[in-house]
Amino acid sequence: MFNKVLIANRGEIAIRIMRACRELGVRTVAVYSEADKNAQHTQLADEAVFIGNAPPKESYLNADVLIQSALDSQADAVHPGYGFLSENASFAAGVESAGLTFIGPSADSIRAMGDKAESKILMKKSGVPTVPGYEGLETFADFKNAAKDIGYPVLVKAAAGGGGKGMRVVNEESELKEAMELARSEAQNAFGDERLLVEKYIADAHHVEIQVFGDKHGNLVHLFERECSAQRRHQKIIEESPSPLLTPELRAQMGQAAINAAKAINYHNAGTVEFILDSSPSSPLRHGSGQAFILHPSSFYFLEMNTRLQVEHPVTELVTGLDLVHWQMRVAAGEKFPFAQNDLHQHGHAIECRVYAEDPANGFLPSVGRLLQFIPPQGPGIRVDSGFAAGDEVTHHYDPLLAKLIVHAGSRAEAIRRMKTALDDFIVHGVITNIDYMRAALETDDFKQGNVSTRWVETKFGEWTPPQPDLRSLIAAALADVVFVGGRAQPAVSNETDPFNPWKGTGNYRN
Amino acid sequence: MKTTFDTQSIELNPSGENYAAILDGKTVSVHIVRAANGRMDLLIDGQRVIAHVSSDMARRWVTVNGRTILLTKTSGAKQGIRRDHAGGLIAPMPGLIRSVAVGVGDVVKKGQTLLTMEAMKMEIRIQALKDGKVSALHVAQGQTVEREQILAEVE
Repeated sequence: MFNKVLIANRGEIAIRIMRACRELGVRTVAVYSEADKNAQHTQLADEAVFIGNAPPKESYLNADVLIQSALDSQADAVHPGYGFLSENASFAAGVESAGLTFIGPSADSIRAMGDKAESKILMKKSGVPTVPGYEGLETFADFKNAAKDIGYPVLVKAAAGGGGKGMRVVNEESELKEAMELARSEAQNAFGDERLLVEKYIADAHHVEIQVFGDKHGNLVHLFERECSAQRRHQKIIEESPSPLLTPELRAQMGQAAINAAKAINYHNAGTVEFILDSSPSSPLRHGSGQAFILHPSSFYFLEMNTRLQVEHPVTELVTGLDLVHWQMRVAAGEKFPFAQNDLHQHGHAIECRVYAEDPANGFLPSVGRLLQFIPPQGPGIRVDSGFAAGDEVTHHYDPLLAKLIVHAGSRAEAIRRMKTALDDFIVHGVITNIDYMRAALETDDFKQGNVSTRWVETKFGEWTPPQPDLRSLIAAALADVVFVGGRAQPAVSNETDPFNPWKGTGNYRN
Repeated sequence: MKTTFDTQSIELNPSGENYAAILDGKTVSVHIVRAANGRMDLLIDGQRVIAHVSSDMARRWVTVNGRTILLTKTSGAKQGIRRDHAGGLIAPMPGLIRSVAVGVGDVVKKGQTLLTMEAMKMEIRIQALKDGKVSALHVAQGQTVEREQILAEVE
């Protein structure tokens, strides 16, 4: 095992990785930007290295500075977390050529999956089902013929892309030219690469991904699925395992397809193969055995592979009982993964809600400010991965993820109830959050029945309005002024020494 | 003591060991079981209620029964902003002043847009909270402002 690991990330995932390091007796080095000098992850590490200004380009995305920091602090490995440089092949290569271990897959594996068009060609060769479509086309006439052949609606998207950028739905031929121009310029701006591919647009899609895990000795297994269809603007908000849609047969098929995908790029460490699952009325899923299906042998298609740890990895940890970050470190250090596919099982049901500092009533705009109260829920089967505490500032520099709330219970219905209770108990003051929004989503019949497709939030759940003040909240607000600041002060609240008292935080408040 | 949050007014009067809260002509009895660090355990007409409340200048964050409400205090003896800026208009987040629509001395109506800000790629209108006269203007077009910086005052 390593002696010391540098964590090239921030926030909740840096803290999650540090916890695993401490449990394994490994010392930790945090890195921090100007904006994060007092952040939780900076505070919790054994050592912390300053790496630059707040904008990610000048700190968390600066590969040279990160590698130099690892060398200077005498770390022997680097964990990239997710986002930032986690899927940057030259960073992984740079870490290795500096004589350090990259806790993740090889640079070659990352590179192979980094390009959507090339990875799709590779997947087709390896027998992994892909969305019907064409890549490598150049002229408009080629695209027009391809789209006609596939059948409208089609999707044009950036070959180098990800995250929903450079992607356009085209409903009919007359829209194709403009959609291609828009997608091209977006792709050029976001990825410096204007190549596009065209494929069948699956309107009623579920996003189901398979966790894979491999060691450096050729062992490769899957750790079942995560259903991640509840999304807003292509960003996941609620994830769960098992998926309410999968039969044991489909699960086994998708698991095998994911293993084939990973094998094709000699994968080791933790990775995720994302699929879209066609849940439209013509899909074989709606016809039981699949005998009604003619066009394509399966109803799931390879979307992309994430060559890193995922945000939603705790869902898999809770149902499999495995600590993925422990195993990432152990296989990176050369250990064999001791479990065969038959040793692995899903136990109960896990759901994750991503608590964001954003305003669902206002286009999901990020909300910034100081956390006046931050009280995560507790109880049986409740896990909270967070990078914040009361008194911390939520800034506009980074992702507005405040916490991941994950619950585990015996059944899906129980897990939904547990999650609603946990959301009720989660107190966040100082920034607007999506807590109430997610609870309302969990309470819908569509969610309870597992009928949430990737467009559900936009098309079916748009009419949500935030809770309105009632008698009790108005009384509490009015009473708080009296109780907590002067007036008829109660002895119990004259807590003058508490620096985090939300009633003392804002400078010249007292009058 | 009367307090107004946004458009709803509530009156709170000491009554023996308890308080009497009057809202929309209805009176309820409020007993404080305990209160510390932004959490209040209350008996409202005999019903147990746990409330978390935080103060953020004129704003009040209130969570009761898992529902979080953001209220803005618009009047009341214990105004959450400095007394000398009781009619002050503050920047809700850091940003840039895009335009200033009024001058000192202008008579304004409640709800009238006094200036616009740009923050996090969205336009924010700063509007008069009451009818009155612009007594001070602390910012100019193009200026960068901090969160909670006082932008203008209306008397």
